[in-house]
Amino acid sequence: MKVDKSVLKQIGLKTLNTIIPVLIAFAIGSIVILFAKENPLNIYFILFDRSFFRIQGFLKTLHYAGPLILAGLAIALSFKSGLFNMGIEGQIVSAGFVVAVLGYRWQSLPSITLIPLLLVSGILVGVLVALLPAFLKARYNVNEMVVTLLLNYAIVQILEYLTSNVFRDPSSGYVSTNMIGQSAIMTRLLGSKLTLFFFVVIIVFVIFYIIFNHSKLGFEITAMGKNRFFAEATGMRIQKKIMIIMLTSGALAGLAGAGWMLSEKFSYTLDFSGTPGLGWDGMLIALLGSHSPIGILIAGIFYAVLKTGSSNIAIFTNVPAEIIVLLQALIVLFLSLKSILKIKPIPVGKLFQRKEKS
Amino acid sequence: MDFIIKILSDSLYFTGPILLCTLGGLFAYKANMINIGLEGMMLFGGFISTLVLFFTHSWIIAFISALILAILLGMLFSYFGVTKKANFIITGFAINLLAIAIGKYTLAALGRIDINVIADVTRSMASIDLGIIGEIPIIGPIINNQSFLTYLSFVLIFVVQFILFKTRFGTYVRVVGESEEAARSIGISISKIKYFAIIIGALLCAFAGYNVAVNQLASYTPDITAGTGFIAIAAIYCGQGNPKNSSLYAILFGISRSLAVNLSLRIGVIAGLLEMIPYIMIIIVLTVVGIIRKRKTLYRGFLHE
Repeated sequence: MKVDKSVLKQIGLKTLNTIIPVLIAFAIGSIVILFAKENPLNIYFILFDRSFFRIQGFLKTLHYAGPLILAGLAIALSFKSGLFNMGIEGQIVSAGFVVAVLGYRWQSLPSITLIPLLLVSGILVGVLVALLPAFLKARYNVNEMVVTLLLNYAIVQILEYLTSNVFRDPSSGYVSTNMIGQSAIMTRLLGSKLTLFFFVVIIVFVIFYIIFNHSKLGFEITAMGKNRFFAEATGMRIQKKIMIIMLTSGALAGLAGAGWMLSEKFSYTLDFSGTPGLGWDGMLIALLGSHSPIGILIAGIFYAVLKTGSSNIAIFTNVPAEIIVLLQALIVLFLSLKSILKIKPIPVGKLFQRKEKS
Repeated sequence: MDFIIKILSDSLYFTGPILLCTLGGLFAYKANMINIGLEGMMLFGGFISTLVLFFTHSWIIAFISALILAILLGMLFSYFGVTKKANFIITGFAINLLAIAIGKYTLAALGRIDINVIADVTRSMASIDLGIIGEIPIIGPIINNQSFLTYLSFVLIFVVQFILFKTRFGTYVRVVGESEEAARSIGISISKIKYFAIIIGALLCAFAGYNVAVNQLASYTPDITAGTGFIAIAAIYCGQGNPKNSSLYAILFGISRSLAVNLSLRIGVIAGLLEMIPYIMIIIVLTVVGIIRKRKTLYRGFLHE
């Protein structure tokens, strides 16, 4: 396939448009660090050096990147089609919770059957949680953004109740469910934190990449996002597509929650998903990767570097680890300016060549 | 009886901040700029007012700084969303994130888990005794002893109704929201109207933040808003941006929050579950509104929102 020069230029501009917000965020972050009387360059060096340029650190980063990439894909899938599914967070925690309970109940099963079973249950839970907003949107056009946002709050309340009463581990000093069985824990590889879950993520990623870029569904998703009325006028069954997109998005989130439980957390606690939460991290990653699979892969790893690095910052410097949350918020803020550098609209004829690229 | 009075009185208490955010967010909604950042703007208001109060011990300076910050946030949101044509849903979301991040960072930097200002909050700041009105049986105890901003929020329903439907500014806001072309053709400066609509919203959210953090709780933690901004957005949606209707929904959500809190004191362990009543209630209301709207229209498939 002939690569057009202007298409390359588009990609270059797009990349710059995602890098510049990150740089601005880091620049503002360094002012904050100066207030804490530390050297920003030193802080950023610690941030990246230990989590990206050292092999153990890098494997740890990959380990953290797994669920993040899935969450990013889940968000990108719905946002690209113009559906604001903000419920990823709720779907992740519900899946994590159910997997924690089942992983304890079914621990007599051997790993080889138990782990796939648990991952599938996580996916199912994600789908189930996404079912209500998907149905309401498709059938009655109830605003999916508000419903999913509020469902998150409701889910957190339900899980808090269940964790602190019904499924609480009485022997634990803090609010938590029972530990999942040994057979449910994914084994660590290469003496690092990395588990097989990362490879599950990679497989899912490849499938997703193919669907997104080389299938009718992928094309329809993009078409819907560009103009849903036009898409419907050409004969697409939008209602069915809404269901498919929202439920797939839920499935990805569910898998992320299950994997996070089986490879990192092992029991459900109230801070299972951290702050601001895996689902919200996914939103940043999807934005940073401009809703394209490859972009999300890179953004997911970049974000995991921040996450691994934040604990190093807290250990080795006086700057609070919360600086990372601040950087993250600033990145989102500047990413919302879709294009800092103006992208010229592509001539219609070249649209078809662009398909392989973005 | 006392219990019912308590529930109703608490309903007012919880409605106040929701109502302030709802009425503030209305303007942006009417100007076709949905502000997801209401929650963050409110949190910023609560944060800066407690922080300033903590160091200066003066509520006036605290209140003014909350307002100044609100104007800055409104300008920031408008600059991104209106002037730079950014994706304002994401901008609003970023403001929410930023509010939490700055709060957490500051708390960590100060080495505290909250900003407690109980020593600086006088009784008259927390609640106002209405005197003779408070002595009316039943109604008196319900409406007495709320904070000034809570009373103000109910007055604002009518003020906002008036501004939106009887003043030139209100008309312009609605015209901009309904058709930008029409607005442009009669020479309305669209950006200016949108800026004002958003800044009014930011100011009212700062009121709400001040009300919760200073008047009601006398302390700040990054979770004091508890989704109030999102509940307000739901109220705006349910009421289609009409001040009276949206306020009714805001009051409804205030009542359900009050029910959740008060019933939880009575029935023990299962209480935690009641906390989700407001959220579930909103989803049910939205669904019912959606079903009714669908019955009324004959569109096929995807509808305009």
